[in-house]
Amino acid sequence: MIRLTDLQRCFAGVIPSIISTCSRDGVPNVTYLSQIFRVDDRRIALSCQFFNKTKQNVAENPFANVEVIDPLSFQTYDLDLRFDHSETSGRLFEKMATRVQAIASHTGMLGVFQLLSADVYEVLAIREVEDLIGPPTTDHEAESEDAPMSLRTELRALSVVTERLRHATDLDGLLSTLLDALRDELGFEHAMLLLPDETGKRLVSLASRGYGQSGIGAEVQIGDGLIGTVAQTQHTLRISNVSASLDYGRAIGRTAQGHGSHAPAAEIPLPGLPDAQSQLAIPLLAHERLAGVLAVESKSPLGFQEWHETFLDVIGHQVAIAIENMMLRAEAEEAQAVTRAALPDGPTREASVLKFCFYRNDDCVFVDDEYLIRNLPGRILWKILRSFVDSSRTDFSNRELRLDPSLGLPPIKDNLESRLILLRKRLEQKCPELRLVPKCRGQFRLETSCTLELTEKDSA
Amino acid sequence: MESGVSLLVGTRDAALRPASARGFGVEINAPSGTATVFIAAAGSQITLGNLRDNGQLALTFSRPIDHRSLQVKGRVLSITETDEHQRRVQDRYFSRFAEGLIFTGLRQNLLRRIRYFPSYAVHFRLESMFDQTPGPGAGRTTAVAL
Repeated sequence: MIRLTDLQRCFAGVIPSIISTCSRDGVPNVTYLSQIFRVDDRRIALSCQFFNKTKQNVAENPFANVEVIDPLSFQTYDLDLRFDHSETSGRLFEKMATRVQAIASHTGMLGVFQLLSADVYEVLAIREVEDLIGPPTTDHEAESEDAPMSLRTELRALSVVTERLRHATDLDGLLSTLLDALRDELGFEHAMLLLPDETGKRLVSLASRGYGQSGIGAEVQIGDGLIGTVAQTQHTLRISNVSASLDYGRAIGRTAQGHGSHAPAAEIPLPGLPDAQSQLAIPLLAHERLAGVLAVESKSPLGFQEWHETFLDVIGHQVAIAIENMMLRAEAEEAQAVTRAALPDGPTREASVLKFCFYRNDDCVFVDDEYLIRNLPGRILWKILRSFVDSSRTDFSNRELRLDPSLGLPPIKDNLESRLILLRKRLEQKCPELRLVPKCRGQFRLETSCTLELTEKDSA
Repeated sequence: MESGVSLLVGTRDAALRPASARGFGVEINAPSGTATVFIAAAGSQITLGNLRDNGQLALTFSRPIDHRSLQVKGRVLSITETDEHQRRVQDRYFSRFAEGLIFTGLRQNLLRRIRYFPSYAVHFRLESMFDQTPGPGAGRTTAVAL
C-alpha cells in the first residue's frame, strides 16, 4: 500500500502537480497546482491563491484528482481526493501562507497574491501509474535513483551536531561551530546565520559558509524576500526548484499588470548563491522571540527534504536558546568585570596611515574611501577610534559601551555581542590593519600598527 | 501551441469523478475547429475509459518558461491508435518538451525512459477556450488565434 509519507518528494514542487475537477454539469477542468502539503496520513492541503474554476468546481462537486511525479524516479502517482474543508487561519494555513508570502515578497508582488485558503482534501485512493517509465538501462541509473539517508545516520548527525554546539564558549564560536557541523555532518555547503540588528527591523549575516567573504554583513529587511518573510512569520520555509517558484510569482505579476491592478515593486535580490535551486530557512526561536534565521541553500532543485526541515527545527531551537543564554551570560559577567582603561603597551610603530571618515547622517564609517560599516557597529567603532586617537586608549569593555547613551543601545536585548562580532569580521575583511582582540570576558583591545586619521562629515 | 508546452488532460467518469493524465503531443486543425492530443497507452486506462464513455475533455497548454497557460474544453470525435506520422509528431513534441525541462535539473536519461508510445490519438472538437495563466484573470474566456 502506498502511503502519503512515501510521496514527500512528489510534494516538493520540483515537477508541478496537476489537479482535475469537474463541475456539477459534467465539464472537467485541469490545471497546475502550486503547493501540496501533507496534513496527516490521510489528508493533504492544496493552496488556493485565487478564486478560480477549481475552487468553484469542488464547491459543486467535492471530488478531485491529483497527479504527482517523483522528481528523482519520475514515478507518477494518481490521488483520488474528496474536498473536506478550507482553513483561513491556524498553523496549517500560516505554514502554507509563509511560502506564498515569501514568493510574493521576493517577486515584488506582496499584496497581489496571497494565500486565500488552505483547502484540505481527504485522500480516497493512491494509485501508482504503471509502465509509463521504462526500467533503468544501467545498474548505475538504478542505484542513483534513491539514496535516502537512514534514520540511524540522521540521529547520529543530530547527536554529533548537538555535541559540538555544547562546546562553544562564545557567540562567535557558537555560530561558526553550527555552520561547520552542518557542513561536515549534513553536507550543507552554503549556509548563513543572520541575527536581528539593534533596530529589530533588519537581519544581518554574522556567519556564513560557502559564500566567500561576501556572506558577512549581508542585510535583509524583516518581511522582505524569502529570509525576511521567515523572520516576520516565524515559520520555516522550504522551497524546492526556486527558479520555477519565482517564475510562478512573476507570471502572476505580469497577469496582474495586464489587468491594470498592480505595478510590481522591485524584486528583492536573493542573498547568497545567484543560482540556488533550493532554499531552507529556519527561524531561531527562543521562547517565541526571534534570535535569528538560519538559511541554507543548494544548487540542486531537490536539495532539501522534509526530514532536513525537521532536523534543522530541532537544531535551530537549541541554537536559539544558546544564543540567548550567551548574550545574557555575557552581560552578567561584564557587569562584574573591572573596567580598565590602559595606556598602549608601547609606542606606535611607524606604519602606514588609515584614513577613517564618519558620516553623521547614517552613522556610516568609511576607511580609505571604502565603505566599512554603519549603524550601531559604526557608532561603536567611531567611539573606539576617537578614544584611541584622542587619549591613546586601547582597552575597552562591553559594559562601558552599554552604559554610553550616545551609542543608543536598547536597555534590554541589545544584541551587543552580535554587533561586535559583525564589527570584528568587517574589520578582518576590509581593514585587517586594525583589530579588536577579545581579552578576558567582556573586554577587548584595539590593536593596530598604523597611524589613524579621523574625519567627521554630516553626509556623503 | 503545438510545441514546447506541457499538456494536461482532464476527464471525468459517469459519477463525475475526475481523472488526470498528461498529453504527449498535439496537432491543431484551426479551420475545422478540431485538435488531436496524444495520450500514452501506459497508465491512461481511466482517462481513455472516461473519454470513450462520455467524450468530455479539458486540455491545458502551459509554457514552462513563463507559465502562460490556456485551457480548451472539447468533446471527443474519435479515439484511434497513433499511426507512424503521428508518432513523428510525438517524437518532435517530446524532444522540445524534454529541452524545456532541462532547467528543472531532471536527469535526461530518466526522461528518455518515458514510454509515450504506443499511444492513442484523441481527436476532439474545440468548444471553448480559457486563459489559465496563474493570476487574477485565470479562468476568463479568451479568444486566441489557434
